[in-house]
Amino acid sequence: MSTNIYSFLLLRSLYQPLAAFGELSRGDPAPLAIFFRYSLWLLLLPPIFALIGGANFGWRLGAEQPLVLPLAELWLISAGYFMILAFGLVSTALISRWMAVTYAANASLGRHLALVTIVGEPLAVASVAHLFPDVLVQVLVLIPTMIWSMSLLYRGLPVVLETSPERGMLMASSLVAWLLVAAVSLLGLSMGLWVMGIGPLLGV
Amino acid sequence: MEAVSNKVYHDTVVIRLIQFSVIWALLAMLGGVWLAAELIWPGLDFGQYWLSFGRLRPLHTNGVIFGFGVSALMATAFYSVQRTSHVPLFLPRLAWFCCYAWQLVVLLGGLSLLAGYNTSKEYAELEWPFDIAIAIVWVCFGVVFFGTIAMRRIRPIYISNWFYGALIIVIAMLHIVNSLALPVSPTQSYSLFAGAQDAIVQWWYGHNAVGFLLTGGFLGMLYYFLPKHAGRPIWSYRLSVLAFWAFVYSYIWAGPHHLHYNSVPEWVQSLGMVMSVVLLAPSWATMVNGIMTVSTAWEKLRTDPALKFIVLSLAFYGLATFEGPMMSIRSVNVVSHFTDWTIGHVHSGALGWNAMITYGTFYFMAPRLVGGELYSSRLANLHFWLALAGTMLYIVAMWAAGVSQGLLWLSVDDIGELSFDFKDIMASMVPYYLLRLVAGLIFLAGTFLMAYNLYMTVRGRPARRAVPPAVAPAFGVSR
Repeated sequence: MSTNIYSFLLLRSLYQPLAAFGELSRGDPAPLAIFFRYSLWLLLLPPIFALIGGANFGWRLGAEQPLVLPLAELWLISAGYFMILAFGLVSTALISRWMAVTYAANASLGRHLALVTIVGEPLAVASVAHLFPDVLVQVLVLIPTMIWSMSLLYRGLPVVLETSPERGMLMASSLVAWLLVAAVSLLGLSMGLWVMGIGPLLGV
Repeated sequence: MEAVSNKVYHDTVVIRLIQFSVIWALLAMLGGVWLAAELIWPGLDFGQYWLSFGRLRPLHTNGVIFGFGVSALMATAFYSVQRTSHVPLFLPRLAWFCCYAWQLVVLLGGLSLLAGYNTSKEYAELEWPFDIAIAIVWVCFGVVFFGTIAMRRIRPIYISNWFYGALIIVIAMLHIVNSLALPVSPTQSYSLFAGAQDAIVQWWYGHNAVGFLLTGGFLGMLYYFLPKHAGRPIWSYRLSVLAFWAFVYSYIWAGPHHLHYNSVPEWVQSLGMVMSVVLLAPSWATMVNGIMTVSTAWEKLRTDPALKFIVLSLAFYGLATFEGPMMSIRSVNVVSHFTDWTIGHVHSGALGWNAMITYGTFYFMAPRLVGGELYSSRLANLHFWLALAGTMLYIVAMWAAGVSQGLLWLSVDDIGELSFDFKDIMASMVPYYLLRLVAGLIFLAGTFLMAYNLYMTVRGRPARRAVPPAVAPAFGVSR
């Protein structure tokens, strides 16, 4: 596969996802190349937007007064956010490859990483909503984006990983289970950290 | 396999129970949607006590759990115990009594809740006359179920029956103990337990009602109908047995996690928390077993729209059984408790797991019970996407609302006073409640589609006469 095609992979996956999936299925990309050329930059977007939004507007959780955190704490939270996202992306790709045997899918780690990157791309781009960190705005922007991402997962997985649509549907559902658990883990972890003092001042 | 008996399975009662279950699903979910709307527009109670949130809410929960859920569990237990025992139901007239008496209890109980008669115990709101009636019907359910197993022609007792058996025995025990009360009039009683003891007994009941009814009972459904859908045995029978005993042992201890930071001993809270985390192991063992079973039957997805519901129900089962133990950890619970996160968690289980596996099972059973085809696979597929969209929207909206509430409620200023007013926080929740209302409407629309689809499937058709097959001599019971 030529480098040029990869150069536009992320862009094409936004407006021509099936074509981008088709291109991916014809190559065997190196995992590190995928991570450092594409995934990493997408992973950086949400924490950067969250940092800028939190510093300028504060967190708007519904009350009139936003919660304004010190910049040092916001940096810490954004760094943690990035680490969690990176862990989530890599672990999802590894779990996807681990599942590949069960669903007779292609086991190339590069493809799994690329698939997860493309599926997460709309969410990373939509994280521009973090610039105005009002929880309701996040919900209104990220729920439709999440549906888009899920649609990419269900449509793209059988193509990229070269398995039948039925097996692809089962594998995508298994990955959805993992992603739901990961999402709720992130919530739980955030609560634990906030209670420990990293984040808003709680009376506990 | 050739039949050895001229006796036929009693399936008409199964069809009737499915019909009642679907009717309760529609009514109780409609109640839920109305409640969601009332949280946005409180004037929707029109000044009527019986339409107030406090009366409609227990009607919604009781209608879903006992009307929709238990009717579905009775239907699937009666269907599967006959087929796994190779004999018709024991005392079929008693099965019919269970069917109609249960509907009467739910109907009259629901009306009593609307009239304001309420014990104030969550999920056990019905007053003492109904408690007695429930106990009688439940014992009859047990007599039919265990009687059928006792009469079985095949020696092994299949794993689904262990789960249904645990459902019947443990719910009877929980219901009777938690309902012990001193009646002072036909419409009022006082619990025999008081104070912290009352709270502990109530949540021993409350959590295990979730555990053995909404989890254990529905796992019985899963273990019978998933292999049937897939057309092959469960992936690891040994794992299913291991998961059963681990589940039964660990669930019963988990109730006190509902009482964190309350006036019960801290060690009781900690024990509840630890056992809740332990519960993850048997829960996920079952999830893995289910996913691996269906993974080998992928080709069935082409012809069986109902299988999608079961696949997705396993994903939500995995989510709910992970989220529950996580929320029982005290440092998470301090934020999540008394917020809409709990409501989101409950509905990820109720909509994503209980309702979806039941829908998948009904789509499987209805055509087979009348010996025909499902009226419309397209409608079933549309229902699947509506159910998925409704569930996702619901839980994400409640996650966001819950986390916001938790943080705002706990936020304090420099001198240690609460930063935000309760009323203001609740007013800021309206947009999330609007999303929840939309989610509920989407899910309800899917349920209406299923009701129509199932009605058209069974309309005018009597139950097919199914005969117990012969049993291989190596597994037979000699009588």
